[in-house]
Amino acid sequence: MSCHVIRERASQAAPVLTLRARPLRIALVGQPNVGKSVVFGHLTGRYVTVSNYPGTTVAITKGRALVGAEVCDLIDTPGVNTLDGHVSEDERITRDTIAGPDTDLIVQIADARNLRRALMLTAQLARLGKPMVLVLNMVDEAFARGIVVDAPALSEALDVPVVEMVAVEGRGFSELRDALASASRPDVPAHPDAGARAVWAGALTERVRRMSALSLARIPEALAQATRRPITGIPILVAVLYVLYLFVGVFGAQTLVGVMEKDVFGRAVNPAAVWVVERAVPTAIARDFLIGEYGVVTMGLTYAIAIVLPVVATFFLMFGFLEDSGYIPRLAIFCDRIFRLMGLNGKAVLPMVLGLGCDTMATMTTRILGTPKERLIAILLLALGVPCSAQLATIMGILGGISFTALATLFGVVIAQMLAVGWLAARVISGERSPFVLELPPIRWPRIGNLVTKTRVRVWWYLGEAVPLFLAGTALLFVLDRVGALTLVAAATRPVVTGLLGLPESTAQILVMGFLRRDYGAAGLFHLARSGRLTTVQSVVALTVMTLFVPCIASFFMMVRERGLRTGVAIVAVITPIAIGTGAGLNYVFHFLGVQF
Amino acid sequence: MSFISLAFSSDGVRPLSALAEGEHAVVVSVGSDPSAEPAAERLCALGVTHGARVTVLQTFPGIVFLCDQTELVVERALAREIFVRAEVRS
Repeated sequence: MSCHVIRERASQAAPVLTLRARPLRIALVGQPNVGKSVVFGHLTGRYVTVSNYPGTTVAITKGRALVGAEVCDLIDTPGVNTLDGHVSEDERITRDTIAGPDTDLIVQIADARNLRRALMLTAQLARLGKPMVLVLNMVDEAFARGIVVDAPALSEALDVPVVEMVAVEGRGFSELRDALASASRPDVPAHPDAGARAVWAGALTERVRRMSALSLARIPEALAQATRRPITGIPILVAVLYVLYLFVGVFGAQTLVGVMEKDVFGRAVNPAAVWVVERAVPTAIARDFLIGEYGVVTMGLTYAIAIVLPVVATFFLMFGFLEDSGYIPRLAIFCDRIFRLMGLNGKAVLPMVLGLGCDTMATMTTRILGTPKERLIAILLLALGVPCSAQLATIMGILGGISFTALATLFGVVIAQMLAVGWLAARVISGERSPFVLELPPIRWPRIGNLVTKTRVRVWWYLGEAVPLFLAGTALLFVLDRVGALTLVAAATRPVVTGLLGLPESTAQILVMGFLRRDYGAAGLFHLARSGRLTTVQSVVALTVMTLFVPCIASFFMMVRERGLRTGVAIVAVITPIAIGTGAGLNYVFHFLGVQF
Repeated sequence: MSFISLAFSSDGVRPLSALAEGEHAVVVSVGSDPSAEPAAERLCALGVTHGARVTVLQTFPGIVFLCDQTELVVERALAREIFVRAEVRS
């Protein structure tokens, strides 16, 4: 790793590092999945989610980095393939950020294997007239595939510093810090159009890149092939889903939850809390608030920590593994035809699969989709049918314990509803679908370090997000119970809940709490089912309604933020009758046919 | 569409969708009519432009090909808009 042409430049370099009224603003820009977020993390010490697929970063992240003796503002941007013409929403965010006064200096991160594409972007960035540094990242992977780039020659040709880097191993960062001091405006001829840029980029690539047929990456390449061919890819998908079920649904939702709920909370935490509260808290109402039926500790904390935490932790770990392996985008190949029926294309598999982690985040990820119509349909389907990790595990935990038929019925019904609603939406909503083009990231063995960090960050995020809401939700339930409102809610919803859906009255409050947070409602159902207060048919109906029902309040606000209040309300107005109608239909059919599971 | 493909086929230019697995080719042009413009732009941004060297890796479901060092998947309708000239590579 060395930084070229820095030394001779230093004397004549433009004085980039001088006294300034405000910190120098440096934007990290590049194609999707080239490692911008890894570089950002190294320079700022701030972790942003890093994955092996395009579209992990869909918003701007800012951080502080020390370069030499100077503190700079560093900006991590969503990946861009082009700055011209029709760009998706995440690309527009990047374009606006780097073109405006928010950016003083551009560090372009390039995948060393894909120099030609990177240079096409360099030519566009050069037009902005801002000083630049070019980073060739992943030179180790390029080398393993027989590709070597002559960095000094490239630096000479572009007239900007070029730094070779292996960001995930921390190699090349001191060189990058040095190079920032001699950043300069690139010397790239002006091109009339994309075609001319491509010709220039192709010619320069030929000049500075040496390729040999030798490839040291046989195993990942064989895996890449196996995952995308239907004959091997579909069995692999089934196996992946089965392992996911074993790890999250059985190990997480049954074994770990069992230990946490029965042993840790049932035998230690809750008895201890009861012991302390009974002695330390004099008033009865305050005691009830803490350890009663709707006690903040006995209900709120138990739900959050004992039931939901083990599930989301196992899910995030497994999910992180799949993300980093580069497997998820390959599913798009198989899903494309089905998604086309719903006015989407295969690319929509990314937000849909991410929705299994958290619908709120996934709603934001729809930014990578090509058209407003696709975004709207994807957001609608996420809200309608994609269960978040906590719900998914509740479903697996409850129905997996009943029978496979019960599980298959729920997923069958939910998927059929998504297809039907998607099909209708594709016809009702105006606009167009974009053609399916997707870049497939290389298959990699996930790095344990990133996997652990990512899971830890997500679990902390979960605790920070969910625990306060679980506690607030429980407090709200407590108050509603005290003032008699819960009875009112139960009475008001009785015709629907017990009448149409055939569920016990207490499910009403769970469905209400499910709106506050989906996983809170899921945990409530879990608790109800475990204590034997739901029949098998009731379990299937309740879980189907909850899966189809309005997503939590956080994802509602995200829908409003992304698509406006009217759209958000409209989505809720569409989903609620569908959820209740489906539940009522199921209840009727099950009873009519005498289904017991 | 078919008219254009036929017209091109006389000089060895075929749509990418007509290539078999494992065939190598060089991109001649992308997009045959103005309606394909946004798609052509997108492909161009991904490196699928005049002169790019491609290898078809898979033809079902969806067409997977290597363009330079990027593995891309496109739907068949889009592959019909990518015109290439087959070449033999050692």
